[in-house]
Amino acid sequence: MRRRKFLGSATVGGLGLGAVAPAGAAGLQQGGAAGSSVLPRGVVATAYSNPGSRYNPFGTPDYYEYADDLVVERDLPTGTHKGKVLAAIQAHSDDVPLYCGGTVAKLIGEGYTGYLIRISNDEAGGRTVGEGVVQNEIDNLECARALGCQKAFSFYYRNHRMDDCAAIEIRARLIFLFRLLQVNTVITMDPYDHYEENPDHLVVSRAVESACWMAAGAKDYPEHYKAGLRAARIREKYYHARSPEGHNLVNRMVDISSYIDHKVRSNVANRGKGPAGAAGSRLRRELAAQGKRLPLLGEDDATADFQYVKEFLMEPWRRLGERFGLAYAEAFRYIGPPPDYRENVRAYVERHAVPL
Amino acid sequence: MFGDDSEPAVVERDQPGQPHRGKVFAAVHAHVTDVPYYGAGLCAKLMREGYIGYLIRTTNDEKRGEGGPATNIRDNEAQHRSMAAVLGFKDVFDLYYQDHEMDAISELELRGRLILLFRLLKIDTVVSFNPWGLWDENPDHRVTGRVVEEASWMCAMRNDFPEHAEAGIEPRQVRECYYFCARPGQPFNRVVDIGSFVENKIAAIAECKAYGGGGEGSRLRSRLSKEGKRLALLGQDDRTADREYIRHFLLDKDREHGRPYGLAFAERFYYVDRRHSAMAKVQEYIERQAVPLP
Repeated sequence: MRRRKFLGSATVGGLGLGAVAPAGAAGLQQGGAAGSSVLPRGVVATAYSNPGSRYNPFGTPDYYEYADDLVVERDLPTGTHKGKVLAAIQAHSDDVPLYCGGTVAKLIGEGYTGYLIRISNDEAGGRTVGEGVVQNEIDNLECARALGCQKAFSFYYRNHRMDDCAAIEIRARLIFLFRLLQVNTVITMDPYDHYEENPDHLVVSRAVESACWMAAGAKDYPEHYKAGLRAARIREKYYHARSPEGHNLVNRMVDISSYIDHKVRSNVANRGKGPAGAAGSRLRRELAAQGKRLPLLGEDDATADFQYVKEFLMEPWRRLGERFGLAYAEAFRYIGPPPDYRENVRAYVERHAVPL
Repeated sequence: MFGDDSEPAVVERDQPGQPHRGKVFAAVHAHVTDVPYYGAGLCAKLMREGYIGYLIRTTNDEKRGEGGPATNIRDNEAQHRSMAAVLGFKDVFDLYYQDHEMDAISELELRGRLILLFRLLKIDTVVSFNPWGLWDENPDHRVTGRVVEEASWMCAMRNDFPEHAEAGIEPRQVRECYYFCARPGQPFNRVVDIGSFVENKIAAIAECKAYGGGGEGSRLRSRLSKEGKRLALLGQDDRTADREYIRHFLLDKDREHGRPYGLAFAERFYYVDRRHSAMAKVQEYIERQAVPLP
């Protein structure tokens, strides 16, 4: 990992507009490539527009705010995270694949044991409610497989209606799983993402956020300890924004170039809904009916599905990566382990204590 | 039976030996005083007859006691544990929902916790408030009774909280329920003879000193002493005073409930028996009617 000073201060931020387009420009050309700013002199942008996608409605969000200590997280040697446990928590079966599938695959590739937890039943994503629930259940399992997760869980709360759920009950179930699985790191929607329109995303991310620290507590659900579970100490969080509208603080850019094919496969696994699934093979058949073919889509359905997703739907992460000198990237608000305050005090005492 | 005499209640008397050996029950109450008053005799009886018992309190009892909320929580917590020990419960759980305010909680969350406990402890039988009980003005009683009833059957369903199975905690059916007859007019169909267990009940109530009458005898003895008087009934020490006060003044309902059945003391319950399933009836029919294939 290499630290990269991105925007040192407000003034420096103004100078950095060449690298990332400010919100003022995006207001005129939303979703387009970085344009020139019409911000008045002396006014510094606080949000930066993403170039968006010509092909994927669910790519990177429209804006990011960047922290001045932004880090690019690059590939680490296999086994770096051995012994650690990752929980990727999503409301719907296509959230993780779209927004953070590359990072999940990367962390697992570097040694994490990964678990995928889906909170809704995805009933809204199908020809009928029943068919949607069944297909998306399969998709969630296949997605977990594509990313290398050890197991997938589904809570099956009703899709699009999670603001009707008891947040405390979802939190309790997450605390149970975090303790059972001994989770160290979570990856999920940013609970503070602005302009989030989906109630399921909001409820899930808030529940995850509070479950993370309560899972370490002795007084929250002590009956879990009677059942032999142990406190979970979750020290790292990766929060991602949603799209098309989203607006969160980004302090970590993860280089997913080595794991882009995992991300592609996890999106192909989402056949019940979303822009990926079997879109490539459908297009291939449509063209064949018109007596045409796209060489990109290859000679069979599996190739067509994979290539369609990689070429068209991965474009936003390709364009985001380009801005940071990477082939593909995913962006996060990363929260790492807190300093060891007590150890620091002890070290201070050792350095400065004098005899009475 | 719904409080009238259209159908006689079953009288559950002492059983010799330990016929319930291997079975487990959970007494789930809202406040430290609920089990002592409404079901301590039954709980003591079930444990003497072989059951292992667990005691679960849903509230933090902050509103009742001699102090403010903080000291009440502390005192009632301690007295809940000592009361459980006196009755012989194997373990005690406190869930600490806010006293008198359980109608504002997520019942689903409480249900999830009870389902986990019923599965973990392998509960066969529950003792709690009647979920359909009339005339109960206490929201904590209503919520606790309703959630216990829901949890007692859902804990058998594999698709409710399937993550429990990941921890090796398997679904399990609660097969018998004893619901308190906590208020006049509430239904009962079982009268439990607690004559052999009235001392246990007195001991349980005596532990409820912050509120619930457990310390009234010694307080009365002290007051009379300051006035230069004494009651022979209250004996020579505080322990005797508390116990005899309870025996003479606080068990009138148990005497009244026993009287129609010729019992010295009784507790009343609405009993639900879920031991006989439809499949058992089918199996019985097969055993009687099945013939060999030609």
